[in-house]
Amino acid sequence: MRVLELSHATKRYGAFVAVEDVSFTVEKGQILSLLGPSGCGKTTTLRLISGFEDANEGAVLFSGVDMKGRRPYERNVGLLFQDYALFPHMTVAENVSYGLRRRNFDKGKIPVRVAEMLALVKLKGFDDRRPNQLSGGQQQRVALARALATNPEVVLLDEPLSALDAKLRHELRFELKAILSAVNATTIVVTHDQEEAMSLGDSVIVMSAGKIMQQGAPTEIYADPKTRFVAEFIGRSNWFTGELRNSTNGVAELKAAGGIRMFVRMPESSPNLGAFDVCVRPERIRIGADIQSSGDAPMNQMRGTIRDVAHLGADLHLLVEIPGGQLLTVTEKYIGQSFERAGQEVSITFFPQDCVVVPSGS
Amino acid sequence: MKRYIDNAADWLSVINVAVLLVFLVVPIVVMIGMSFDGREYMGGFPPSQFSVRWYVSFFSDAYYLRGLSTSLLLAVIATVVSTTAGVSAALALDRYSGPGKQALESLFISPLVVPAVVIGFALLLFFAMIGISDGFTRLVGGHIIITFPYTVRTTLAGLVGIRKTLTEAAMSLGANERQAFWDVTFPLARTGIVAGAVFAFAFSMDDVAVSLFLTSPDSYTLPVAMVSMMRTNFDLTIAAAAVVLMIFTFTLILILDWTIGLDRLIGKGVFRS
Repeated sequence: MRVLELSHATKRYGAFVAVEDVSFTVEKGQILSLLGPSGCGKTTTLRLISGFEDANEGAVLFSGVDMKGRRPYERNVGLLFQDYALFPHMTVAENVSYGLRRRNFDKGKIPVRVAEMLALVKLKGFDDRRPNQLSGGQQQRVALARALATNPEVVLLDEPLSALDAKLRHELRFELKAILSAVNATTIVVTHDQEEAMSLGDSVIVMSAGKIMQQGAPTEIYADPKTRFVAEFIGRSNWFTGELRNSTNGVAELKAAGGIRMFVRMPESSPNLGAFDVCVRPERIRIGADIQSSGDAPMNQMRGTIRDVAHLGADLHLLVEIPGGQLLTVTEKYIGQSFERAGQEVSITFFPQDCVVVPSGS
Repeated sequence: MKRYIDNAADWLSVINVAVLLVFLVVPIVVMIGMSFDGREYMGGFPPSQFSVRWYVSFFSDAYYLRGLSTSLLLAVIATVVSTTAGVSAALALDRYSGPGKQALESLFISPLVVPAVVIGFALLLFFAMIGISDGFTRLVGGHIIITFPYTVRTTLAGLVGIRKTLTEAAMSLGANERQAFWDVTFPLARTGIVAGAVFAFAFSMDDVAVSLFLTSPDSYTLPVAMVSMMRTNFDLTIAAAAVVLMIFTFTLILILDWTIGLDRLIGKGVFRS
């Protein structure tokens, strides 16, 4: 069931276009991440859905009903604010029941519902605490309980985890996802953090300058970015720029700066040959052992010199200089193996299918 | 290990506080003492005889009583109007962030910087120009103007730190603008609003300079009555009148405390999370 639809929504502030021709749909129970740098229009999109702003053009539809002109309290939206926005003069229970009271929920059932919500977010017995007596993570869970209590049609999360420290963020990410799926909430997560977007979202929309750059499943966005912007925004990448030539069997040859020649996967849309950027993810590059190409599939192989090694616990980050002077980032899982040191000469290999081609300068 | 100069500084600050206390408290103590003086003539402090004759004199003097009732009515009206206007103005200023915000704020508190005699005289001319000659109406107008800056300032101070997202959270949970104001903004700004109202009441009860220009023979405030009595027949009734004025202000605060509780009225401190 299509719960939310944005259809060619555009929002202008004077001459500035904050959101331009944005269209997407969200199904019941689905989690959609809106990902982008600050100022990309994701927060404005959130405000269009919640009703704090109205679109200049296009429409916002809840289950097929146009929301134009409806104030936030005339829509049934659950909002989780980045700063939680808990009412400091109310207790936890009063905070959670606020929406129920304002939306004229059956008075006798309110305490039951509040207990149910507090149990859901694992805060049983916190009813009479004040927000300033809670930790950041607890405040966030109260805010979530408050947002979900009225059983909203759409749940909007604004940077839900960014105010928490890294360790708590990892724990709460899974918990948040579990809670949202327990109530089968149709959710939109707005974030600038790609890990948050990819771990929470069933689907991810990358935005830039008010427009949608790409939409897809997290794995698809990561493995097959359509533009350099998307590739750079999601994950780390090594870049080669050059001319594409001799496309055969979905594999083309790239002649890059510094005399580097490499084989790359042709994009399905098979662009014309010419200038392109090629992205290789750091974990797809292998160091050391020469991997023999199987059959007639070509393999990219280069000599390089290790310039730096950083051991980050589970990961090794290596900086490798290749002929022509370009520095490549390579990551490896650290599972106790012996690893290379700075100054060492190595050979690096990567498959053509791990080389993603995007239009130059996109 | 404290140095000699630190010890000296400590002693200086103790002496400083002591001197200040003496200057604050002694005149009031003397005045209260003198208001119970039983002597016929103006004698020295402490009084050698005790009586309540100056209070009897005060409460049997129609001139003073009229001043007192005018002052009380005036203070209540000025406080209500100026608090309502001040809260509205502060809310608008708090939400507005365009050009001229600073200028507007300065304009709203300008009665604080303009000398009271200037305000009084200007108002007298203004009221004459627009044809208002009723003394009480003029006093109401004048007292709203002199108390307004306090209600604006204290409300603004109370609104600072109430994040916009709190109102938005209330609205996303089903409250309309009016409900969001009463459920969230008002309780959080209450400390500032009530402080403003108390200031407004106190300053209205206390004002002489502006009121002097705006009184008419049948509409005058208690402080104005005291000033004019001091010129014509100076006796200790004035001390009794001053004590009565003080008692009214204290009583107001006590009644507030008994009925709603000061804690609840001004909030348990300022909420900042």
